Amino acid sequence: MGIWLQGVLSGLSLGSFYTLLGLGFSLIFGVTRAFNLAHGDFILLAGYLAFALWHFWHLPFYWTLPVCMLVLPVAALALRELLRRLPAPFELNSLVVTFGLAIVLQNLFLAFFSADYRLILLPVTVVFELPALSLLVTANQALLLIGSLAATLAVYVFLYWTFVGKALRATIQNRESAALAGIRVDQMQLLAFAVGGVLLGLAGPLMATNMYLHPAGGLEPTLIAIILTMAAGIGRTGSLLWAGWLLGLAESLTALAIGSSWRELVSALVLILILVWRPNVSGEHNIAP
Amino acid sequence: MKRANLQRAFPWLMVLLMVGGPVAFPHAEVYFLVFGLACFYAALAMAWNILALSGLFSLGHGAFFGLGAYAAVLLQQKLFLPTYPAVLAGGLVGALYGLLWGLVFKKLRGAYFALATLAALEIPRVIVDNWESFTSGSMGIVGLGRLPALDVEIIALPVGAGLRSQYYFLFAWMLLVMLLHRHALLSRWGWALRAIRDNEVAAEVLGVNVYGCRLAALGLSAFLTSVCGGLYAHLMGLIEPAMVFSLHIAAFPLILSFFGGRFAVLGPLTGALVLYPFDQLILQPWLPQGHAAVYGLVIILTIFFFPQGLATWFRTKSTIS
Repeated sequence: MGIWLQGVLSGLSLGSFYTLLGLGFSLIFGVTRAFNLAHGDFILLAGYLAFALWHFWHLPFYWTLPVCMLVLPVAALALRELLRRLPAPFELNSLVVTFGLAIVLQNLFLAFFSADYRLILLPVTVVFELPALSLLVTANQALLLIGSLAATLAVYVFLYWTFVGKALRATIQNRESAALAGIRVDQMQLLAFAVGGVLLGLAGPLMATNMYLHPAGGLEPTLIAIILTMAAGIGRTGSLLWAGWLLGLAESLTALAIGSSWRELVSALVLILILVWRPNVSGEHNIAP
Repeated sequence: MKRANLQRAFPWLMVLLMVGGPVAFPHAEVYFLVFGLACFYAALAMAWNILALSGLFSLGHGAFFGLGAYAAVLLQQKLFLPTYPAVLAGGLVGALYGLLWGLVFKKLRGAYFALATLAALEIPRVIVDNWESFTSGSMGIVGLGRLPALDVEIIALPVGAGLRSQYYFLFAWMLLVMLLHRHALLSRWGWALRAIRDNEVAAEVLGVNVYGCRLAALGLSAFLTSVCGGLYAHLMGLIEPAMVFSLHIAAFPLILSFFGGRFAVLGPLTGALVLYPFDQLILQPWLPQGHAAVYGLVIILTIFFFPQGLATWFRTKSTIS
């Protein structure tokens, strides 16, 4: 019983982190309709940056978060410039170009950090414990859960309760109509990439403390972000959280039931199922460059 | 006029380079190794492009490659099949997985198809990784022999005897795949594929069997890729799940085809023969870790600056769609 409860708990914290991955992706996908296959590698970039600051310059871990959250928006805006200049056909070219970008980033990680597995090792402290149920929450898990949920909540408040956020949502839903309503679509795109970058910058260090960093490890977060975006529908923060929790629970319970190495199979199968059942998530009327 | 001459001379120049180069320097083993593998990757790129010619881009061809490699090796080790029949049988295993794609991904197009194939690459990898009693899991299978002599009628070609004979074997394999690739461009079926890629509905209306033609392209592409995988196991002498079911194997043919020119008979081949030796002979000694970044850079530059690829520089009449 206890072990399953622990599984549910780790599933929820994993799922909240997945939501964070999905949020950044779905904001950028929302304003560009570009499948950014380098999404996971941008997260790794933030993770490796945090690792370098922590390991080589001995910066306390909590200081790496703001640094990454400042640096990654710059990278995201560079990505925007790249995507903006892309020749037609946009959808496929964006896929191929971001794929190329992923390869470049992977090899940069390989050159600078070698193929070793890297981890930001925080002291293990138990913040919450129920011995009767053998339930245990470590600082790491709490950090993952709270960091992800706080970011999700902040983006939710921004998108639904502020004027600019509403304009951004309108841009995501339909570019042309938003432009007709007087929204400066260009600036909204900038904003989406900037906010997406901040989320990437938060996700990287969190990932570096909980999962190992590996140069080829970008694919998994990318797939997960795509899954959540497709499952939730574009720009829908609320359903993104549900989708993230469901996927996190499914993965962690699978890991408990038949072994952690089968975990990756879940996300691949879920992605195929979603694609086959909902092949046109992006909406045909609104494929905007 | 000058361009036309160049165009006509180009294939012969390539042949001269490929056959003449290594013959002129018979002791440069590394050239045989690198150019042999360049031929291998050219074959892989053309196999991928056969599907791409029907308008579907796959990011998951590593799945066929890995299935072919594992099937070939396991058929030899468990059923004691001879090498070449096992490699061909491995090709059939890959083709079956390809047909499964055809069934499940029937309605997916464009980016959605590409994403589905990306996920379909993960599935066999995780299974092979975890089925330790049968595939020896993530440890991989080591100590595989080189390609044995190939018996043709009365003469036995010593394919795996040295890097030089291996080079000629891979060169011949590349030519064979090139003929099939040519068929996928210029035959009646090739024109059907082209019609499908340009406008599926119009092709259907004109009486092209869209699904059948595409399935044939997928099956052939998967078969050839899997055979490449089986050969690779013997070229390298070992296989591991992360090595053969890798995104790099899946990315390679896409990059080489785009760079060389996807719509030309010799396009993917040119891409492979230019880029791979450049990477291995020039970049790799200079930047041992991370030299493969050049492939990412090249694909980005290709999309931005010459989206039709290298091969179109050598042709007079544009047959671009």
